[in-house]
Amino acid sequence: MLSENILEKRLQIAGIVLILGLLAEGLCLLGRGPVAFLLFVGLAGLLLVVGILIFLLALVRAGHVKSQTTE
Amino acid sequence: MEHPAVLLGFLGFSILLIAVFVFRPGVTRSQGGKIVAFFVLFALPLFCLGVGFSAELDRSKSTQFCLSCHIMEPYGKSLRVDDPMHLAAAHFQNHRVPADEACYTCHTNYAMFGSVKAKLGGLRHIYVYYLGHPPKAEDIKLYEPFNNRECLHCHAGARSFEEGAVHAADPSLLPAIKANKVSCLSSGCHQTVHDVATLGEQKLWQGAGNAQ
Repeated sequence: MLSENILEKRLQIAGIVLILGLLAEGLCLLGRGPVAFLLFVGLAGLLLVVGILIFLLALVRAGHVKSQTTE
Repeated sequence: MEHPAVLLGFLGFSILLIAVFVFRPGVTRSQGGKIVAFFVLFALPLFCLGVGFSAELDRSKSTQFCLSCHIMEPYGKSLRVDDPMHLAAAHFQNHRVPADEACYTCHTNYAMFGSVKAKLGGLRHIYVYYLGHPPKAEDIKLYEPFNNRECLHCHAGARSFEEGAVHAADPSLLPAIKANKVSCLSSGCHQTVHDVATLGEQKLWQGAGNAQ
């Protein structure tokens, strides 16, 4: 299912992690009490931050590879 | 975006948009696709994170949130004691504090980073509740003595406070209260706050919008 293109593959991984993070966030919003708050901060927040970082890393590495090929 | 249903709908919409890039990664090959990918895979999740955190933080201030721990139930009941001498009950029942944020209004610290300190205290509560040895409800004590600053946040400058018969009787009393040298909760003043030990003997108010 994952693309063979390395940039697209990274974007797909970022997307999957972000979807998991958003699903976790939705579940936390449905829940009540301190455990839902902790899960939001510890799980949903973490997944979203990791997903965003993977996306940014994919962009940086894509630019790096492009500059190397043009040299 | 305060309403959870609206936020959930927005989260669902975001998931659908992200899913397009997961199942059709080829759309990022075009210039327009790259721009849309930036919004969908960066800006949108960041926005969802911020809005979700704000919603969770708001909810964590609610009376219902504080009383969701079993150990806090007697404190929720103490807000319904039918006795004006019970400080917390009188504040809650007369809406001197917002009924839906009753605990937070008095128990937050009205200094810089007070909310952060309150949240860190809340994390400590969760740790003790789930992993430690929670005390009996009547044995729960504040980490620090209650600071008059929290009362004066609302009462300072109010006529009933500044010109109240007891407060004005001794000229040295008001400055001492304002300097936190004499506690508002001193014996003989507003000493009964949450008397959970005698809750079984108290008559409870059954008005509308009660706490649990």
